[in-house]
Amino acid sequence: MGIRLYQEPQLETPILVASWPGIGNIGIMAVDTLRGILGAEEFGQIEPWEFFYPKRVFIRKGILEYLEFPGSKFYFKKRGRKDIIFFIGEEQPTEGGRMYAEGRKAYHMANLVLDVAEKFKCRRVYTSGAAVALTHHTAKPRVWVVPNSESLVPEIEGYGNTVLMSDIEGRGGHGNITGLNGLLLGVAKKRGFEAICLMGEIPVYLQGLPFSYPKASKSVLEVLSHSLKVEINLDTLDELDQKVQQRIEEFYQQIPLEIREQLDRLKHVAYAQPAEPGPITEEEEKKVVQDVEKFFKKRGEGG
Amino acid sequence: MNQGYRITIHQEPDLHQSSLVLGWGEDVGHLGRRVTAYLNLKLKGQEFAEIEPEDFFPMGGVAIEGNVARFPESKFYACPEHELVIFQTDSPLAEWYKFLNSVLDVAERHCRVREVYVLGAMISFSAHTTPRQLLAVVNSAEMKEILSQYDLNRDMDYQTQPGERPTLNSFLLWLARERHIPGLSVWVPIPFYLAAMEDAQAQRKVLSFLNEKLGLKIDFSDLDQEIRKQNEQLARARSRFPQIDDYINRLESNLMLSEEENGDLIKKIEDFLREGD
Repeated sequence: MGIRLYQEPQLETPILVASWPGIGNIGIMAVDTLRGILGAEEFGQIEPWEFFYPKRVFIRKGILEYLEFPGSKFYFKKRGRKDIIFFIGEEQPTEGGRMYAEGRKAYHMANLVLDVAEKFKCRRVYTSGAAVALTHHTAKPRVWVVPNSESLVPEIEGYGNTVLMSDIEGRGGHGNITGLNGLLLGVAKKRGFEAICLMGEIPVYLQGLPFSYPKASKSVLEVLSHSLKVEINLDTLDELDQKVQQRIEEFYQQIPLEIREQLDRLKHVAYAQPAEPGPITEEEEKKVVQDVEKFFKKRGEGG
Repeated sequence: MNQGYRITIHQEPDLHQSSLVLGWGEDVGHLGRRVTAYLNLKLKGQEFAEIEPEDFFPMGGVAIEGNVARFPESKFYACPEHELVIFQTDSPLAEWYKFLNSVLDVAERHCRVREVYVLGAMISFSAHTTPRQLLAVVNSAEMKEILSQYDLNRDMDYQTQPGERPTLNSFLLWLARERHIPGLSVWVPIPFYLAAMEDAQAQRKVLSFLNEKLGLKIDFSDLDQEIRKQNEQLARARSRFPQIDDYINRLESNLMLSEEENGDLIKKIEDFLREGD
């Protein structure tokens, strides 16, 4: 179980940008879009066999031709200075039927990703994921930013459209980032890398839907491209977002009116501190979440 | 090297150039378990090794089946007279790569296995009166050629559909090929209304192939008797219940039943066979 590099590019103080699938595929869509726009070149992979069950078999004329596993691939883009290494994991290595990676395999994979980063003398890592938030799908998603070191906070405060955990009302600067997008941040800290996780907001009532949320990916990508000092055209994400927003709106109209009225109030939720009496109280917040969960449960039972 | 996973060898088998037959415990129509049990019975297979379960199955209690507690088992049996190894196992629920490699480690190092046969059953929407056909998937062109003299459909094209995953059979065939061991995954269709019960005809079809291919010289008169009995039971179900007869008539005419009718036929047949006639 290890790393296989097809080539060893000469990279100048590279930055690693890594992502795995998660809620709304927000992080991975942002990272993969950037990889595509920059035309980064594949140069290696983590061997999949012990991490993953195969995802596809090809049988032709009775002969098993090929067994395909979820990919965990490295790409590079040379830029003259601060080159970029991308890591894109097609699946998180889960154990025991859990949704997100945890345990021995997850820790091993995080270390393998950082082994490659270290080999190319990278010292800065970005990961990306989703932040489930009391927000509305018509609002521009913000990006929750979590660094793995206090010293990175001043830099983050200079990013636009971002919030630190301490800005989120009622959290007191605390929270959790589940799965490998979070774990990598911790393992990076243990190994002395600077790391920052960028999480695009997704409305609480959309977190369980089976489609992506490109609007939040775009917000993440705006922050990431600013931080990496790359100029990119995000038209493709806008087009995708328009299609998804249409589906979300169709879904939204199916939600019973009394719940929808409560959800509409999320259009006015803000996280600015000091906490003012907001447009939605803590009690109301709980009720919104409970009602939405009840609605989805009913839908599920109804098939 | 078993990569830290526990394999217990009770006794070294006296095998020099053997074939491995593998059956899974949770197959459609219990095919894997039934066929390997039948081979063990007829060929007097002797248990000689097992893979310990703790890394491959959740150790969170026991399942109860037929009023009895079951525990995951992964056991090897040797039939030295026939140069045959039988591996009867529950399907692992974790660490599949390591589990399948453990199987091949035992096969290679303790049994000098030269070929692998993996058993599989799939649900068919044909009537039980339709003759069973065997479908073959192999891991090399050479193996396909070797099988040309047997009654197998060897030209299947297949690609995993969205939302599905490959079978453990495919995973094992692929790993066997990595080790240069020729392998065959043999599939038999089982009528959907017998899937939760047993299908003696399907078992006979697979066993006949293995008997011929491996030169086992098994007397199948008991199994043939079982097939006759099952066919008679199903014929009685048809004559006693016009609705069952109508459903099966339509299947025999290559007509599809609705989902509701499928469910109804399954229930009626299962009730009839369980209660006896």
